[in-house]
Amino acid sequence: MEALGLRDDLVDKTVAGHNTLQLIAFSIGEQTYGVEITTVREIRAWNGATPLPNTREFVRGVINLRGTIVPIFDLRARFGDGQTSPTKNHVVVVMSVGDKWVGILVDAVSDILTVSRDDIHNVPEGNSIDTELLNGIVTHESRMVGLIDLHAVVSGAKIDG
Amino acid sequence: MSDLDDFKATYFDECSELLTELEEQFAAIEAGERDAGRLNAVFRAIHSIKGGAGAFGFSALVGFAHAYETLLDYVRDGRIEMSDDVVTLCIRANDIVADHVKAAQTGEALPADYGMDEKARFDALARGESVAEDEEGGEPLEEFDIEFVPVMVHIEAAEDETHESDAFEAAPMAFEPGHWEIHFRPHQALYARANDPLLLFRELAALGEMSVRAVIGEIPALADFEPFAVYCSWEITLISPSLTEAMIREVFEFVDGDCDIAVAQLGGGLAPLDVAPAQSLPLEPGLSDLLALADDEVEALLDFALESAPVAEPAESVEEAPEPSFAALAETIKPSAPIAVARVPVEALKPATPVPESEDGERRNVGVQSIRVDLDKVDRVVNMVGELVITQSMLTQQMDETLRARYTELVRGLEVLAQTTRGLQDSVMAIRAQPVKSVFSRMPRLVRELAQKTGKKIKLETIGENTEIDKTVIEQLSDPLTHMIRNSADHGIEAPDLRTARGKADTGTIRLSAEQAGGNILIIVEDDGGGINRERVLQVARDKGIVAADVNPSDEQIDQLIFAPGFSTASEVSDISGRGVGMDVVLSNIKKIGGSVHVRSWTGKGTRMTLRLPLTLAVLDVMLVKVGGSPYVVPLSSIVETIQCSRAAFERVPSGGKVLQVRGEYVQVIDLAERFDMLTETEADNRFVVLCEAEGSHKVALIVDDIIGQQQVVIKSLEENFERVDGIAGGTILGDGNVALIVDVQGLKTTIMHKTAA
Repeated sequence: MEALGLRDDLVDKTVAGHNTLQLIAFSIGEQTYGVEITTVREIRAWNGATPLPNTREFVRGVINLRGTIVPIFDLRARFGDGQTSPTKNHVVVVMSVGDKWVGILVDAVSDILTVSRDDIHNVPEGNSIDTELLNGIVTHESRMVGLIDLHAVVSGAKIDG
Repeated sequence: MSDLDDFKATYFDECSELLTELEEQFAAIEAGERDAGRLNAVFRAIHSIKGGAGAFGFSALVGFAHAYETLLDYVRDGRIEMSDDVVTLCIRANDIVADHVKAAQTGEALPADYGMDEKARFDALARGESVAEDEEGGEPLEEFDIEFVPVMVHIEAAEDETHESDAFEAAPMAFEPGHWEIHFRPHQALYARANDPLLLFRELAALGEMSVRAVIGEIPALADFEPFAVYCSWEITLISPSLTEAMIREVFEFVDGDCDIAVAQLGGGLAPLDVAPAQSLPLEPGLSDLLALADDEVEALLDFALESAPVAEPAESVEEAPEPSFAALAETIKPSAPIAVARVPVEALKPATPVPESEDGERRNVGVQSIRVDLDKVDRVVNMVGELVITQSMLTQQMDETLRARYTELVRGLEVLAQTTRGLQDSVMAIRAQPVKSVFSRMPRLVRELAQKTGKKIKLETIGENTEIDKTVIEQLSDPLTHMIRNSADHGIEAPDLRTARGKADTGTIRLSAEQAGGNILIIVEDDGGGINRERVLQVARDKGIVAADVNPSDEQIDQLIFAPGFSTASEVSDISGRGVGMDVVLSNIKKIGGSVHVRSWTGKGTRMTLRLPLTLAVLDVMLVKVGGSPYVVPLSSIVETIQCSRAAFERVPSGGKVLQVRGEYVQVIDLAERFDMLTETEADNRFVVLCEAEGSHKVALIVDDIIGQQQVVIKSLEENFERVDGIAGGTILGDGNVALIVDVQGLKTTIMHKTAA
């Protein structure tokens, strides 16, 4: 444990400096969102998914990820903007949430950002979907990047009853 | 340390197999098959357990097993009759052995007097018979009481000359009858199986006056010493007036095949065996026969013997003694083992080395060879073969007509690949297949105990116990079956007087059967008891809010209620089972392995519970269909037939549901597109009906857009990365890499039932 902690420190110092965070940033329309780079497993082009019955609109279905079945969540739909009409240029970001792997459908992956932890702000209080699904907001070169709360995004996927 | 742990783990594995074997044998013995074969099998099992236990120092287990073994031996000799009482006692003894094994495994201590009553009864049984007719018969019994007092073994020190002459003084005994000479040479395998010659010697010592001499002439110089090679053999003299060869052979029964044994009775006029044994062996006709020496070897030995005659001279043999270093070495290596002077010239001993009896050698080759493999490793292979099967079928599917015409070689290659894949798959599945016997064999005892506890008369019939099923499935089967049988015994079968009053035989029957039905295994537990008390079940279900007050479920639905979670007819709960408590566990356990449970009951006549289990958990035969543009697969095992759709065939029932009439039978219809909330663009009359048989007699008709064909798929979990979805049993990956969902026919049917009921 101790050794691992030490190594993390080293990585931070050499690659990104102290107290910083690396994010994968992706866009949905005009809006930019980010997730911590360590949770991202791979990024792949959209290639269709098999729809899952009895699930909410934002569940696009399941795909085959080298023999494992992985659900795909439509982030636009999750934010209540209706389903994405995906093209071959749309991107699925495969991430790990707890011990599960999930894919998030986004318009494009835009950047890898290094931000300071001190620059992460709390999401303003409110009861919009946005605030429920974000862990925080960070400003990067005058752009506002919403930090995605993956656990929240994948919850409530099933239609009950 | 870890090696020893490994040996122990292997030993406990073997014990559990042997205990299962005991159950099986006694099930047959109880049923009246009291032949020698069964008894020998029982004896061997106990002996094997004892042998290993001795090696690991589980003395309580050894003690009990030994007493039990003695009893079995008497039964085998015919000194004790295999009466019902003896059988019952033996079954009890099996339990005690099992408890001892468990205690040894877990390290928990059993009470010191555990099993002593039974041991005393063995004693009494044996004595009662033997004292009356045969004075000597009782002797071994006395002996087993003191069996674990350290056995005196005559040790003849290697370098000491005086011991030599001591041994010589003992030699005249050889001329008396009942004087046996045994040459015992273990193979490496004997040690590999964690046997210890010392235990054998102890057992022999119990038979009479014994002296053991180690033949250590083959022990090489330290530099050439291989730690795993066997250099030592033993010569044993055993003296007891009543001793027979069979008694001696029996001691070695357990290591049969892992050693060379020569047993000979010493008559008069023979050269004392104390002389270099390899020289005297060929002179003794019995021994040379037994060792089945090759002719030329015998000749060579004879020559040697003649040259070195007179061999019997003590002075001579002392001269022939090897350098003391051998003996010294032997002593350092195995200080506690009996050591004798090795006066055998190395070249002379050679013929005594394994020249296996031809018969013996054959037997070893014929015997089933097996290895123990970690199940995980097999699983990995099974999974890979599953993927291979799918890739293969994908390749085949992608060969269209033009390609076929063009690349005939490729087509031929694919055909061979298909065949080989199929063969590979079957072989891999066969590795994991096991007869259900291993689970069934535990049930007779359960029924016996239940009958005793409830005061009922119950008979268990088992059918199809050789039906093979995947090992992982079998492992999950024991608990559900136990619950179901308990349930039948406790609630199904009536008390004898009630049965008589109902005009039935006073003994109730529980029938446990297994059969293969297509890609499934059906396991049926059936009793001829009173059937489910539906009124009470419904009442309890209503009280517990499982069924709403205004709903009137059908009889079938009521029967199925006993599997509802939390359902228990409290008034019926006993210490054995409460119907409902445990039955929901049955359901969930069976669902976990992809199976289903169905119960049917006939008032006053009995109850039948059917478990439908997949033959294997790895590969599923399915029908690929399309619904709303998405692929779905329906397990082939549940499909009865497929029909082209015709709108006119559907009729609406008042509840709003649709039914389809198939040859005079009304079948519930589920439109999968509707059910799964998908858009179908297929015209109504172009759709298809897949007629499925869900658990039980009721059929259900699934409407799909298109039927694509049959294929094999590997089941993938949806829950691994998502969660369970109603009506979907899992997912699978098709040849084109897309995911298809597996339709859960039974699940669909129940949710519909709930919807109409709610």
